[in-house]
Amino acid sequence: MDRTKLKKLGLNLPLLPTTTVGSFPKPPNLMRLRADFAKGKITAEALKKEEENATAFWMETQESLGIDVVVDGEQYRGDMVAYFAEKMGGFEIGDLVRSYGNRYYHKPIIVGEIEWPGPMTVDWWKFASKLTARPVKGMLTGPYTMMDWAFNEFYPDRHSACLALAREIRKEVVALLEAGAKIVQVDEPAISVRVEELPWVIEAMHLVTDGLPAYFLTHICYGAFEYVYPKVLEMPVDNIDLDMSLTASRRLPLMQANPFSKDISYGVVDVHSHEVEDAATVRDRLRRALEVLEPEQIWVDPDCGLKTRSVDEAIEKMRVVVEATREFRSELVRNARPV
Amino acid sequence: MRLITTSSGSYPRIGATPELHLLRQTITQRDSGKKTDADVAAAEDALTRAAIAEQISSGLDLVTDGQIRWYDPISHLAGKLENVSVNGLLRFFDTNFYLRQPVVHGPVVWARPVLRPEYEMASKASAKPVKPVLTGAYTLARHSIIEYPPYQKEFARLVLDYNEAIVKEVSELAAAGATVIQIDEPSILKEPSHADWDLLEETWNKLSAAKGKARLVLATYFGDATPVLHHLLSMPADVVALDFTYNPRLVDQVADSKPAKPLGFGLLDGRNTKLDDPAAVLSALDRMLPKIRASECYLNPSSGLEYLPRDRALAKLKHLAGIRNRIN
Repeated sequence: MDRTKLKKLGLNLPLLPTTTVGSFPKPPNLMRLRADFAKGKITAEALKKEEENATAFWMETQESLGIDVVVDGEQYRGDMVAYFAEKMGGFEIGDLVRSYGNRYYHKPIIVGEIEWPGPMTVDWWKFASKLTARPVKGMLTGPYTMMDWAFNEFYPDRHSACLALAREIRKEVVALLEAGAKIVQVDEPAISVRVEELPWVIEAMHLVTDGLPAYFLTHICYGAFEYVYPKVLEMPVDNIDLDMSLTASRRLPLMQANPFSKDISYGVVDVHSHEVEDAATVRDRLRRALEVLEPEQIWVDPDCGLKTRSVDEAIEKMRVVVEATREFRSELVRNARPV
Repeated sequence: MRLITTSSGSYPRIGATPELHLLRQTITQRDSGKKTDADVAAAEDALTRAAIAEQISSGLDLVTDGQIRWYDPISHLAGKLENVSVNGLLRFFDTNFYLRQPVVHGPVVWARPVLRPEYEMASKASAKPVKPVLTGAYTLARHSIIEYPPYQKEFARLVLDYNEAIVKEVSELAAAGATVIQIDEPSILKEPSHADWDLLEETWNKLSAAKGKARLVLATYFGDATPVLHHLLSMPADVVALDFTYNPRLVDQVADSKPAKPLGFGLLDGRNTKLDDPAAVLSALDRMLPKIRASECYLNPSSGLEYLPRDRALAKLKHLAGIRNRIN
């Protein structure tokens, strides 16, 4: 809510910083090469080269759009759980299960002791950081979501699986910080699945973040937020990233009743619709946000990762986020709101 | 006591082989203009036949169509009713599966049979009886965004209007020859203390009046049934199907209550790949079966199986049939 921590970390961000949640769509050429790689037609080196090309494309795109805090775009990941499960010890990758509609993912199976294999995202963070002067977020999936979105055939219960994951994910955070990352996002979209387990989510996040010198965010989306609020404010992070574009009418009254005590990354565009919102719609959403939240605590972004959109849709959605935020920022300054 | 093996509803609509990717690919191609809705319908038929074939090969007595055509358990039905549109994503209970949330703008009115053509197709494709599975009115209402003021004032009215649509569906299915029809009401267990049992009973009285000769199953899952077991068993349903994976005490509670109607035993976890310990399942059945005053019951996974990879779903069903074979 104040900028002290950001400033201590050397981060001087504008009012209403813009960012994105993490993933971008993979360009068609990369999709083709991923399929070729799966069929054994190309080498891992050839695939990696194209992943680097795609990452460079998205870094340049974010730069040209003027996103304030950027991401590497996760061009090298299949999905947010399987990517880590494929690398960490103790997992086996299961066959496809449905996420929603016509979307599927490989759901991992915990079959042994979870082990950090060494840095999993650090080289990509470094690759992306070399291409920009803007802060690049380190992007990880949180222990509770990793546990909940995997089958467990090894640990005696969900709690012990969750804490085992937290201890290993902390090692990846430390590796990112050693590489120079100052902002790390640890996503917990599964946070609201079992309200009675919310204390474990918080306990696990303490294991991940306690005592580490970084600005931490967590992304939460498409869940029963009303069941975890305001307890979720006990998460040991600085910023909670929420899908708000379609849910503000239900969530803002909750935040009015129990003030939102952290920074918020406020989702203003729907990532599951092909339609690109116009700037007026986004400005209206921000205006509603400011009826309840302070401008200093708001970051602005899409509701979720943009990987389910086409490349053009993703760019246009980001463009409207940036343009509407800039206009709104100017409006705030003109109206001499406390900034 | 005869133990009938059955599925609980959904079945994976994708798998490891290229032919099992047909539906996913066809929908993607339809969305980019390369295929038509008719192509998608043909792919749905193909995957429905595959789901039925795997259930039969596993040794099930009573199969489902796998709900292959369903976008999700809520919008497939609610989205086809008048004055209901479909909105953004919402997580379905404590799964990592997401549904499209219905938005109710006006009075909910049934427009046309949704499940009857799906049931008729599946029946023709199956050598075993097919059990149609619907989502109940209470669960549909609980997952809806209500923008119509009369429903905002009186939630029960929305439940009853949704139920009118479900009654029509049940009537159509019974007329088409369905002998067992399952109505899923998982929302009862989400906040059991908030359940309006008089309202639920009213919906089930209406469903019962429309069922003809079919047997109606009330299915609950994704929650602990122990606090509301006596309510569930007293509902005017022919069969009550229970999820035994949330509270181990449910087994003895069921045995102690000496049910007078057939039960569906959701003793195999439909949400975990691990194959359930057969000794534990058999022990639970040994404790309950002698106490149930009915000539037959059902053994089924605790929930639909589309939360599992296809190979594990198939293994789960074979495991289920194997356990049943050690009893019958």
